[in-house]
Amino acid sequence: MAADGDDEELDVNYLLIGHAADGYYVDFEPFGKVELPRIFLLKDEQGGWSLDAYGSTKSAVLNGHYAVHHEEDAATPPDDAAAADATGTADPAADHGEAAHSPEETVASGEHLHGSLVAPAGHEIVLDLSITRHYVFGLLAALLVLAVFIPLGQRYKRGIGRETAPQGVFQNMFETLVIFVRDEIAKPNMGDKYERFLPFLLTAFFFILFANLFGLVPYGAAATSNIMVTGVLAFFTFIIGQVYASADHWKHIFWPPGVPVLVKIILIPVEFLGLFTKHIALAIRLFANMTAGTLVILSLLALIFIVNSLFGNVAAMLASPFSVLLTLFISLVKLLVAFIQAYVFTMLSALFIGMAIEEHHDHEHAAPVEGPTPGLSEDHGAVTPHTLMGDDGAARERTQMPQAIAG
Amino acid sequence: MELILAADLLSPHAGLIFWKALTFLLLLYLLYRFAWEPITTALNDREKTISDSIQRAEKALAEAKQIQADNQKARREAEQEAQRLLREAREQAEQLRADEVQQTREQIQQMRDQAQAEIEREKQGALDELRAEVADLAIQAAEKILEDSLDGARQRKLVADFIDDLPKN
Repeated sequence: MAADGDDEELDVNYLLIGHAADGYYVDFEPFGKVELPRIFLLKDEQGGWSLDAYGSTKSAVLNGHYAVHHEEDAATPPDDAAAADATGTADPAADHGEAAHSPEETVASGEHLHGSLVAPAGHEIVLDLSITRHYVFGLLAALLVLAVFIPLGQRYKRGIGRETAPQGVFQNMFETLVIFVRDEIAKPNMGDKYERFLPFLLTAFFFILFANLFGLVPYGAAATSNIMVTGVLAFFTFIIGQVYASADHWKHIFWPPGVPVLVKIILIPVEFLGLFTKHIALAIRLFANMTAGTLVILSLLALIFIVNSLFGNVAAMLASPFSVLLTLFISLVKLLVAFIQAYVFTMLSALFIGMAIEEHHDHEHAAPVEGPTPGLSEDHGAVTPHTLMGDDGAARERTQMPQAIAG
Repeated sequence: MELILAADLLSPHAGLIFWKALTFLLLLYLLYRFAWEPITTALNDREKTISDSIQRAEKALAEAKQIQADNQKARREAEQEAQRLLREAREQAEQLRADEVQQTREQIQQMRDQAQAEIEREKQGALDELRAEVADLAIQAAEKILEDSLDGARQRKLVADFIDDLPKN
């Protein structure tokens, strides 16, 4: 890739993604990097299982005889690594080809932080349980949520806010948010069963909010800008929705009532897929929003260096104020997005769970509305609970009564 | 190039999924146990207390209004009653005075009548007495005349003289 010669652009791209992507270290440049523990679940040739843990990637490479397999060789499977190394001199970019042979040299050049590790001979990595940067910031966000809400909970236990009015900025501020989640997110979407799901929604909301805000902290990163993290959150929404789903929910998917059989043939797979796409979209929405913010900020800053390489020093100096102002603007947007995305995720989670647990009274109306595409069905799904729960629900029940008597 | 970049952001990482799920479950449990449960119950309690208080206050207000209305009504009734009593008393007093005057007048009349009757009676008595006296005198005169030898003419003259001598009343 670097063979094209545009080293500058490559470096910028690499830098951006390197910052946005996950990693096994926390970068405190210019003070250095803190490497994170590496944990591997290994299986040796005899089929024995073992757990390998190292304080850092460095120690894994130096003491654990793990080999570094650089990302740029990703196209070649680990088994061919040796072959690739043998022909390493043929690859102009692979100056670390030899480095792979000597652990000390690899560590000295810092390459071990950018490559994936290959287990020592005779072992196979089954599960890489290493702690990553996004996990660290996710954990920090989780601890911060605990640090905020457990004292808050104790405050309420002591009676402040129970018998008296809430006191102080701290309590008032977070109480407002808690009540917002309860009254604006849980209640409208879940009806009177909201109390069972409120803890999940509150946890998701505040974890996402705090994790998002960590993306704005210097040296910080948003755990939610990782698809694994958002995926896990969306997975919990999915599981909760399916575990507490009503019979109507399943009936609606596998045998939509009030639809001709031919349409059912199309509709059933669509509904079934929609079950997953909704939640996958949920994960991607949050991930993409948070990652986009990071990438935009980094890109705007990188603009200075790109201008520098293309037009020289003076142009870069002229460009930098705009770059910085734009970055400031985007940072403010990110602050807004941090709140909006926490709200959107929680809102949609509440909606999906609310749709799953709801007991429909009128399939004749709801089923045809569901569109033939998952996206459309999701949009209509956003409307159906309200319209079904709404004022005309009672009226429709009344019209069904004479039919039931006649039948 | 793009593939590798995308792969960096999207590559699955089982370890992260594992740790993240574990952390989230733990977070969910701890928050549920120590934060959401006390907070939400406290909020519900407080809301209930507030709505109860408002209801109680509204009820108390309605009661107070009712009591006030009752009081006002009672007071108005009492005033009316008092006025009625006053009026009655005044009327009674008036009546009493009128009666008194009437009675006095009647009494006076009665006394006057009595006195008049007394006078009449006295007068009658006196007349009767006089008449009897006159008759007695007449008889005595007659006797006197009879005792004298009497002739007719003299007698007649005597009687006439006598009668003339009688006081006119």
